[in-house]
Order: sequence, then structure tokens, then C-alpha cells
Amino acid sequence: MKITRMHGAGGKVMQELIKDVILKNLEITSVNGGIGLESLDDSSTIPIGDKEIVFTVDGHTVKPIFFPGGDIGRLAVSGTVNDLAVMGAKPLALSLSLIIPEGFNLEDLEKIIKSINETCKEAEVAIITGDTKVSDGVDDIIISTAGVGVVDRGKAIRDCNVQEGDAIIVSGNIGEHGLAILLSREGFDFETNIKSDVAPVNKMIERVLEEGIEIHAMKDLTRGGLADALNEMAEKSNIGITIFEDKIPISDEVQSICDILGLDPLTIANEGKVVIAVKKEDAERCLDILREHPLGKNAEIIGYATKEHKGVVMETIVGRRIVDMPIGDPIPRVC
Amino acid sequence: MMKVRIKVKGIVQGVGFRPFVYRIAKKNNLKGFVKNMGNYVEIVVEGKKEDIENFIKDLKNKKPPLSRIDKLDIEEINDNLSFDDFYIIKSEDSREEEEGTIPADVAICDDCLKEMFDKNDRRYRYPFTACTTCGPRFTIVEKLPYDRENTSMRDFPLCEKCLEEYKNPLDRRFHAQATCCPVCGPKVFLSDGKEVIAEKDEAIKEAVKLLEEGKILAIKGIGGTHLACKVSENEPVLNLRKRLGRPTQPFAVMSKRDYVDLFAEVDEDERNMLLSLRRPIVVLKKSENYDKYFSKYVSNLDTIGVMLPYSGLHYLLFDKEIAYVMTSANLPGLPMVKDNDEILKKLDGIADYFLLHNRRIVNRCDDSVVKKVANRLVFLRRSRGFAPEPIKVDVENDKNILCVGAELNSTACIVKKNKFYLTQYIGNTSKYETFCYLRDAINNILRLTNTNKIDAVVCDLHPQFNSTKLAEELADKFGAEIFRVQHHFAHAYSLLGDNNYFDDAVVLSLDGVGYGLDGNIWGGEVLLFKDGKIERVGHLEEQYQLGGDLATKYPLRMLLSILYKAIGEEAFDFIKKYNFFSEKELALLKFQLEKKLNCPITTSTGRVLDAVSALLGICFEKTYDGEPSIRLEPEANKFKGNMEIEPKIKNNILDTTELIYKSYEMLLNDESKEKIAYFAHIYIADGLFEIAKKMADRTGINAVGITGGVSYNRIITERVMNNAKREGFDFIYHNRVPNGDGGICFGQGIAYILKNRAEPYG
Ligand SMILES: [Fe+3]
Ligand SMILES: [Mg+2]
Ligand SMILES: [Zn+2]
Ligand SMILES: [Zn+2]
Repeated sequence: MKITRMHGAGGKVMQELIKDVILKNLEITSVNGGIGLESLDDSSTIPIGDKEIVFTVDGHTVKPIFFPGGDIGRLAVSGTVNDLAVMGAKPLALSLSLIIPEGFNLEDLEKIIKSINETCKEAEVAIITGDTKVSDGVDDIIISTAGVGVVDRGKAIRDCNVQEGDAIIVSGNIGEHGLAILLSREGFDFETNIKSDVAPVNKMIERVLEEGIEIHAMKDLTRGGLADALNEMAEKSNIGITIFEDKIPISDEVQSICDILGLDPLTIANEGKVVIAVKKEDAERCLDILREHPLGKNAEIIGYATKEHKGVVMETIVGRRIVDMPIGDPIPRVC
Repeated sequence: MMKVRIKVKGIVQGVGFRPFVYRIAKKNNLKGFVKNMGNYVEIVVEGKKEDIENFIKDLKNKKPPLSRIDKLDIEEINDNLSFDDFYIIKSEDSREEEEGTIPADVAICDDCLKEMFDKNDRRYRYPFTACTTCGPRFTIVEKLPYDRENTSMRDFPLCEKCLEEYKNPLDRRFHAQATCCPVCGPKVFLSDGKEVIAEKDEAIKEAVKLLEEGKILAIKGIGGTHLACKVSENEPVLNLRKRLGRPTQPFAVMSKRDYVDLFAEVDEDERNMLLSLRRPIVVLKKSENYDKYFSKYVSNLDTIGVMLPYSGLHYLLFDKEIAYVMTSANLPGLPMVKDNDEILKKLDGIADYFLLHNRRIVNRCDDSVVKKVANRLVFLRRSRGFAPEPIKVDVENDKNILCVGAELNSTACIVKKNKFYLTQYIGNTSKYETFCYLRDAINNILRLTNTNKIDAVVCDLHPQFNSTKLAEELADKFGAEIFRVQHHFAHAYSLLGDNNYFDDAVVLSLDGVGYGLDGNIWGGEVLLFKDGKIERVGHLEEQYQLGGDLATKYPLRMLLSILYKAIGEEAFDFIKKYNFFSEKELALLKFQLEKKLNCPITTSTGRVLDAVSALLGICFEKTYDGEPSIRLEPEANKFKGNMEIEPKIKNNILDTTELIYKSYEMLLNDESKEKIAYFAHIYIADGLFEIAKKMADRTGINAVGITGGVSYNRIITERVMNNAKREGFDFIYHNRVPNGDGGICFGQGIAYILKNRAEPYG
């Protein structure tokens, strides 16, 4: 079998690849009893003394590399910082590994590095190590960033600990990153305000944690969108999640373009949004704190965790719909 | 003197079998007993050899009309026990894991009706009147054996008089599990949604008055709830349409038998089916006088679905009106409501009044629907009156196979030996509620067939069907193997199994959507069945489904996509004239089509017919499954005359761009819509038949069949049939299993038995 685009699209096919080919063949995957690779959480941890080092890595390719609302540099920093942040960790430092194709425009490279710098300042993280390669084997620039953060021992927030009755909160409008990339990649030349939401969310999450909100589980929304994140949390926590369609924050513009193209906004990528399972009693307070932050101004409580069913079920005006783990491109199923 | 033990398997419960045995034992001077074993009946008789022989003859030849004997095991026994009389012994649970059968629901019989309309009878106008040979069965049963205490009739202890009848072996209510009377049985009441406004007979009389006034009533029946209103005026029908969110889907009607000929054309087969005790809805051609009696909003097709009353209550509803709309009380895609609380809550704002009763419906069971196509009555839906009666197939099998079906018009089945027990109609399992119903129905059919062990779970290849996920879960639970069958292969297997035809054949498998082996969407497939294996040997041209499922909902998208292929940019100017899409939408659609964004590839027949339907301005938005193509058929039916065409075929692929382009050209040349509609139908029928014939000729095959949802289309199916017969082929078509996705579970079972494994993801 050959690797296809579907294997990299997030969702079920990719999960199978990771489990059956990668995890199966690696034997040592955790240190000191910390969170290891097999958890497939956003980051892993290494307990040391009364702290845990939180560690993650992310490779970034995106077409086009400059897109409305951001660029590959901002994406490379935000993606890794967010993976640390949703563990409840304070991100400290990143590594920066560049694979640059032969013939790449020097001005573009400089623009990207400047963007990396701006985003690091916003997130208050340092780039402390790096590596640069020029290759004739890649089509476009690839940026890998590893990130290190720190959290108090035993305080890391997992994605597998959603509890019955928890309120499910999403920190803002969904679908913006994926749609912005898609439209700009395909040369969509209509007037639109759709911009990628790519941003580091660690400062916003720190505010929530400082206020002592009891967060049971947290994830950033990336490939596969909200549908992927919720399914993963529900499955790993062995619980059901019910959400309400009319509560899901989404801009009219994203909604209307999705309606015309036949895309499900629940499955479209984000790069600056998190989904949080929070103790019911803390939900409203958590929402207020999120909304005070510019990145969280559209935050909403979209549902709750339940033992009445498994997986993710969405209440709509025409009955309840099972929200699937997305599998890459949508496949028609209506007769 | 001798003594024998007889085990009878088949439909022998709830059909008056034991009283019948009692009577023939007495008649033949035999002693002994008869006993219900849960999934079979055991008889021990003692007497003269000759009498025993006569007894066995009677057993075979005089058995009750609803019973069916599949197997008789007879063995002689030698013990010293002897009997002083013949007895009917209380039921015992059998430990043997063997198939038992709960009979399907049966319409009220003539004897009971006579009592119900006899002023002097104690059951005068009592709507729950039933006897050993009639009344509800499957819908009230909780578990085997079929005894009163295992049904919802246990809530109604028999009064003295009823008990007498129940205990008297010579009474026609002897051991009639659903028997009751006005004193001890269930009661009807009428509610306005807030409170009960009338009870018992008053409730019924009041309900009739309200119906005649044009009100919409929810009527709780045997296996579920109907929404009813009069058919003769527009307003009630339109109100019902609006409240239900069903703008165009034809409503079924219930009519008294003498009236049907007033408004419909009925042939002998159709009449027999209408009158049969199974009482399905029969889709009939409207007659010339139809419009005299019916509001035009009841059905916008040239057909009307008709059923006759099947419960006592139904008979009491007819006074002045000749027919009522009787549509399942469910919101689109969701299961029909059946419990009183639920009826009142969910139909609030839909029904004006509620005619309910206090008997629990244990198993929901929608009305069955049949239609005559190509000289056969075929199932559009196989449910009440048929489920859970097994379908027997001439195959050898020693595994217990659970098949979960596809996603729309869903049914599931359990296969044991050569018997296929299909569940009642489930519906669209992409909805959570309906998905839960599928799970319940599966548990139920396992319980009713005493099945504790599953060897294999079979499902569709579509990676996102909820039924596929359920299959994985069940395979896990039972430690069973999981087996995936390509959708159109399953249709073909279903056709073959339906006909017990396992010789080589070419099958046209035509429908709207199914996940193909290549990851594309299939639906116009020419399949070669040879040596037990299926191979795709031809199909419709691949087209882009502009916007995925949206192209199914809005058929103009499909037209645009195909026309764009034929004439390029001009297609947009043409589509603009329909005034359906805004400028902005058109611009986006153009962008989408050029970039092939969310434009999956399809060979679906449904999508091509949809495009023609949109082209002719017949349907721009699908509000129920198959609507655009279903509404195209009556237009084509108007065309009288012959048409010979030459479909364009290359490499066994039928060119559908040509079909659409020709239709478009005809439209521009002011040809009649009926002619264009007809052209499209026969283009598909003749084109696919030509491919099939070529394959058959090449491989020396002499049978051609047709299956899938498109095979409900009379024009296409009958054209293929006539072509096949003209060319000297056997023609294979359905009659026991639904052509559409309601038959997929059956085909999945056949596929597993024939060990034809489709590889996931091609
Ligand atoms: Fe189908
Ligand atoms: Mg992550
Ligand atoms: Zn009767
Ligand atoms: Zn009684």
C-alpha cells in the first residue's frame, strides 16, 4: 500500500497509520512514568522533581505559505506553543528546523523569520536552537518546531479526562484557518473577510488557569476541526459528548461559503482555537475569562459530556446527528 | 397401540396451532399432549397406528391458514406412561438454540368483524377484537414463547367470559393471546393534546366527526401511529404537509375496499395483495376519476399508495369519507412515534387531536409498501405483516450471520442456516434516534430468534455509515469476524438470493449512492456474476458530484456539472435562466467546478436522472429520497409511442454527458418534456442493457437481472425486461426482498455465504 493524501488529512485514516505502523514498531515511548507517545496527547511529559517538562514537536507545510491572516512562520510557532498550552503548561522555548527548497526566494525567507519572531514575542517564548537544510527533494519550505514547557508535577491537563456533566467550551469561531487556506490556495478572487485564526493561545489559557478554573480536559483544534477534537476526547475519555448546533460559534461568512461548497465546518481546520471540558460549576466563569481575551471573544459553551451515549451527537433542528470522526475528504452518502 | 413424538417447526405460534392440534387429536381418538416449546411445538400422541397416521395427514393438510410447517420430526417412543386424555400444556422455554418464529401481524378477520358490527354481540364496536387467527403479533411481543404473559396484553388480565373462551379448546379464541373485550381489554380515548375529551366508543365517534370536519388526527394503531386527515379537501392535506415539513412526498391513504376502484386501477394481483391479511400499502395507478375524490395535494405522481383497514379501530373510522390520508407519524428521517407520552409531545402542533389507546406497542412496525413492476409485486418496504417472518434461500450455511445493512431505508437481518430473518423497516440511520432504533431492532431480532452466538457481522464498505460502526462494535462484542461487502455487489447478491438463482448472470445494479471499490461513488453498475464471484464490467460515465451530497439535494448542481462538461462556460448562462442560484452562488459554483473542490466522482444513475428532472423544471430540491427521479417518471409515462435510440458507449461505459447534452438540445428545439423524459429513461435502459448483453454474449451467460432503487422505475425495468426477453435472456427481478437498500442486509448475508470478500479501500 502507498501513503496517500488521506493519510495526512487527520482523522481516521491517519490515526490508523499512526497506530498500526508507527506506534507498533516503537518500543521505548515514555520516560520516568510521564505521559508518553502512546497517549497520542498534544504533548508528552518528563517528570523531574516537583515539575514536569512538557515536550512536543510539529512539522509544518502549508500551501500557500503566505495566506490571509498569517503565514507558515506564524503557524510553526502557534502550532507548537498551542500543543504545550493545552497541556496546562507554560511554554518556554522552541527549536527551529528549516528545510528550504533550492531556488526559494530569500526575501520570502526573511519575511517568514520575522513573522516567527513576532509570534514568539506574542507568546513569550524563545527560539533557543535551530537547524537549516537546503534540499532539492522538497517542493516547498518545511518548518519543524519542537517546544518545551513546564507544568507542576501531576498537573498536566490531558485530553482523556472528560467527566460526566462537564461543560464543553470552544474558544471561538470555527473553520476559519482551513477555509482561508483552501480559498487562497485555489486562487479564490472574490471579496471575503475570511482569515486564518492562526495564533498562540497560551496567554489566554494561562488567564483561565490563574483563576483556578477546574479544567478536566483540553485540546487545540487543528486538522479535522472540532469534529476530530471532540471525537478524540470522547473516545479517550470513554464518554459521550452532546453538542448543540445553534451554540457553535461560526461566522456567517464561513457558514455561507461552507453551505455553497457542501463542506462541513465542523471538520475544517483551526489553528488558534481550543476546546475545553470544564467542571459544570466553573463553566460560566471560564467563559467570561475567555471572552475578556481578544482571541476568546466568541467563546461559547457548546454542549456537555454525558454517559447516555458514546461518541459525539449534535442536536439540530431536524433531530440528532452523529458527528463522525472526519476521514479526510467528505464522501457522499445521501441517496 | 403406539406412541410417537412429533416436533413441528415453522410458524406455529400465535396462529391457532395448538387448538388445531387438540381438535384433530380428539377427532382421531388420540391421547397425549401438545406443548409450546418457545421455538417449536412438541406433540406426543398415543393411539392406534392408523389414527396416528391420519392425525399426521391432518396436521399437514388442514393446518391453520396463517401457520407454516417447515419441518416435522417424528419419532416413535416406547415407555409405559399412558395418558387419560389429550391436553394442551403450558409453554416451556426451550434450551435448544434453534430458530423459532414470531408470526407477523395479521389484519382483523371476517369472523371478528362480524362480531364487531353485530349490535347484540358483547364485542359490538369494540376496536381490539381479535381471535386466534387474527390481530397483532410481532408488534406486541416482548420475548419467546408467544404467550400472553410475554406480550403487552399481559397488562389486561382476562375477564371471566374471555377466560372461558381462552380456555375452551373448541372456541375460536382458545389460547388467542391478543383476545380481550370491552370489559377487560385496552381502551381508546381522544385527547386534544391537553386532556382527555372522550373515551371508548364516544372517542371514536368524536374522532370521525373531527376527521370529517377536516381536522388532523394522530391515530395510534397496531405498530405505530398514523397522522390522518380527509383526502377530499385541500386545506387539511396542505396543513398536514406544512406541519410535517413534507412539501411534496405522496401520502398513502386508507380506503374501504369497495371504494378503491372509484379512484384507482387495480389488477388481480394488486387486489389480492390489498385484501391479503398482511395488508400492505399497494401503490396503484390513479384512475380517470381520481381527481373527483382527491385533493391534488395528496399525491403529485400518477400513482397513489392505498391500504385497506387492518385493525378494528380502522373500520370504525369510516363513515362519510371514502378515504383518509394515513401517513406514518414521524418527522422526516426519524422513527415513527409509538408511546402515548411521546405521541403527545412530538406531535404537538402537528396533530389537532389524538386518538390513543392504552395498549403498549412493544415493537414499532411501519406499514409495508408494495408496487407492481415488470409483472411482479415488489417491496418498496417490507415491514408490518411480513417482519419477522424469515425468507428461505437454497444455500447451505451453518453460521449465524448478522448483517447490518446500509444507511437509508435501513433494515438488518440475522441469518441462521438458510433462513434470513429481516427486521422491520428502520429508516435513515444517519440520524441518531434512528441509529438507536437499528440497534434495538437488532437486539430484538436476536432475542426473537433465540440467538446468542454470532459468527460474522457483515456491513457496507462505506467508511462513514453509522451501521458500519455498529457492525464493528457488535463484532467486538460477539467475538465475530467482520466482513465488508461493496454496496452494489450486495444489491446483486440480494437479487440472486431472492430468486434462488445462483447460476452465472449479468446484473444491472442501479441506484443513487454506494461506496465503490475504487473509493468513488457508484450507482450505475453492470456486474458480472460468474463462479460465485462478482466483477464490475461496465458502468455509467464518471461525473463530478458538485458539492457532494449537496448535488443530491439540489439536482441543478448535477445538471450544471454534466452540462459544463458538454458545453463549457455556456452551461452557466443556461443554468442562470432557472433563477435558482444567486450571482454569488453561481460564481462560487464555477470556482468549485473549475477547482474540483468537493466534487467527488460518481457513476450514479440517480444523479443522472436527477439532472434531467432539473433540466425539465420538474424538481429543483429533493425533499425526500429519490424525489427528482421519482417525479420524472410520470412525465415520461405521458409519452405515447416508440423511440429507437443509439446510446453512446465506449469501453463498456455509457456516455451520460451525451444523454444530458441530447436532452438539452431537445429542450432548446422545443421538443416536449414528456419526450425528453422518456428519452432519458430508455437511453439508460438500452445503453446499460447493451453493455450487459455484450458481456453475457462474450461469456456465454443467458440471464440478465436488474436491482437497486432505480429498478422500482417501471420504464427502465420493463424496457430492460423486454430487451432481455427479445434477445432470449432469462430476466431476473425481485419479489421477496426489497429492490432498494431495504434489501442490502439480505444481500450482505448471501455475499458472506458465497464468501465473496470485497477489499476495503480498493
Ligand atoms: Fe443502494
Ligand atoms: Mg494538538
Ligand atoms: Zn379474528
Ligand atoms: Zn373480557
